[in-house]
Amino acid sequence: MPAAVTISQLNKYYGIYHALRDVSLTVQQGEKVVICGPSGSGKSTLIRCINRLEEHHSGTIDVLGHVLDDNMSRIQEVRREVGMVFQNFNLFPHMTILENCVLSPMLVRGTARKEAEEQAMHFLTRVRIPEQANKFPGELSGGQQQRVAIARALCMRPKVMLFDEPTSALDPEMISEVLDVMVSLAQEGMTMICVTHEMGFARQVADKVVFMDQGAIVESGAPTEFFNNPQNERTRAFLSQILAH
Amino acid sequence: MANSATARALPPISPLKTRLRKSFFPTPLSGAISLAGMAFAAWALWHLFQWAAWNAVFIGTAEDCRAASGACWAVIADRWRLMFFGLYPHEEHWRSALGCLILILVIILSCLPVFWRPLRLAVLWVCSLAVFILLMRGGVFGLSYVGEERWGGLTLSIFIFCATALIGMPLSIALALLRRSSLPLVSVVTGMVIDSVRSLPLVTILFAVAVVLPILAPGSSGTKIMRVIAGMALFFAAYQSEILRSGIQSLPVGQDEAAKSLGLGYWHRMTRIILPQAFRRALPPTVSQFAISFKEVSLVIIIGVFDFLASGNAAYGSGEWAFTYVEVYVFMAFVNFIFIFSLSRYGAYLERRMRVGK
Repeated sequence: MPAAVTISQLNKYYGIYHALRDVSLTVQQGEKVVICGPSGSGKSTLIRCINRLEEHHSGTIDVLGHVLDDNMSRIQEVRREVGMVFQNFNLFPHMTILENCVLSPMLVRGTARKEAEEQAMHFLTRVRIPEQANKFPGELSGGQQQRVAIARALCMRPKVMLFDEPTSALDPEMISEVLDVMVSLAQEGMTMICVTHEMGFARQVADKVVFMDQGAIVESGAPTEFFNNPQNERTRAFLSQILAH
Repeated sequence: MANSATARALPPISPLKTRLRKSFFPTPLSGAISLAGMAFAAWALWHLFQWAAWNAVFIGTAEDCRAASGACWAVIADRWRLMFFGLYPHEEHWRSALGCLILILVIILSCLPVFWRPLRLAVLWVCSLAVFILLMRGGVFGLSYVGEERWGGLTLSIFIFCATALIGMPLSIALALLRRSSLPLVSVVTGMVIDSVRSLPLVTILFAVAVVLPILAPGSSGTKIMRVIAGMALFFAAYQSEILRSGIQSLPVGQDEAAKSLGLGYWHRMTRIILPQAFRRALPPTVSQFAISFKEVSLVIIIGVFDFLASGNAAYGSGEWAFTYVEVYVFMAFVNFIFIFSLSRYGAYLERRMRVGK
């Protein structure tokens, strides 16, 4: 089976700032990869390159057989197959929860409204908030909004899910409800790439943990190896800080 | 049980006397200001009442008015047709009146949420404007022909305003989006167009389209009213596009990114995600822009278009009613107030309604 995402020798600059340095990463289908690292280490930039929210300057990204470049229709192909969950939820505030979920399947996939709504209710049930379907995002708590955001992405039936710090903007008591949804998604075999500081989640579901610092991948490995026997000095320093509190 | 619980949850209501004292007489100084203000208001209202109603002449001749000390509303009764319909042929005034009513009705219909679909609005306005123009111009169905140069009065003002907004609004959306284009050439050129139009006074633009354009391109530039509408629409669009752009810029960048990540293309992102939210955020200045444009229609007077204001001038301009200019202007101000006040109340309704989906 071909890899879901293959990134090789990726470089990205913001002006003269070198944001990604020769990053190479392969994610197999069904694999769960957790990317961690200090802020400014380029982890968000990296996963935002995967669905071309950011352009890269050299190196290649192959997503499900599509090599990303300026070709807009190829980018659209990739975005249709790759779901993304953001730190700030980014639900559309002028639409109800249900409309948020049916919009893209109807416009992009051409799904009929009735079918799109049934599918939306299916995924809203899976994230355990079907009763909120006719409310507006502003009426929901942060945890509920993030679960809707996950359901909205799932409604496009993606083959890969990207999570960009999905719990970082949440109040502490709401983190677990979002992580529970992510764990169940992982158990169903979804290919997932998660930027997160939730090391408990990483231990529980990750097949591979990647540590980034200063735009480069410093170390990666299976979670037991990564947490119990980190090789690199910077990894050890980071882990001791993040696991201390 | 439930009732008593709700009753207890309500905040205590202080008696009317306490509230009045708090609002008007909290300190001796405030009390004195309140009393002075009320005395002035009573004095002003009493004089206004005497002038506008008690001593006023509602029906009669100019002679009756001269004899009375109050307002001369008789001029309105005598000249309202001129103010509303301008130089439109007298026996055909029903056509102008009907046309005006059609436009007002369609404006009201467009304000109803039922019609807030691009297709519905487009059909509604294209059909009603076609009917309006057929009705006003005539020459078909046994209606006598009345050239655009004889259209006038309130009907013409409302028509110019509607046409300006209808052409100007889509144009402003186009300009706002082009100015945000990622292609530098497109955004710079659009920016230059917007800035040039904004740097010109409307009077200059009207003068250019009415006088200069026919010299530059004789015979191919449409009627004067059409050119006036085009000029005003361009002016409207230049300002409205910047209002819209401010609404677009104020949106969190995450909205566009979320839409992109869901695979939505440019048009879907703009029409479903970005513009609806930008319009909500830009609603208060958009309402102002409409109010300004409504009043700016009266500038067409300088190029000899016989709008409501010009017609009003003509209404008191003929010798016998010459002394009634105050009454005529008060009446025109009142008609303008009805339109602008309705607009601002409608704006307030929209804001309340949209707060739900915030």
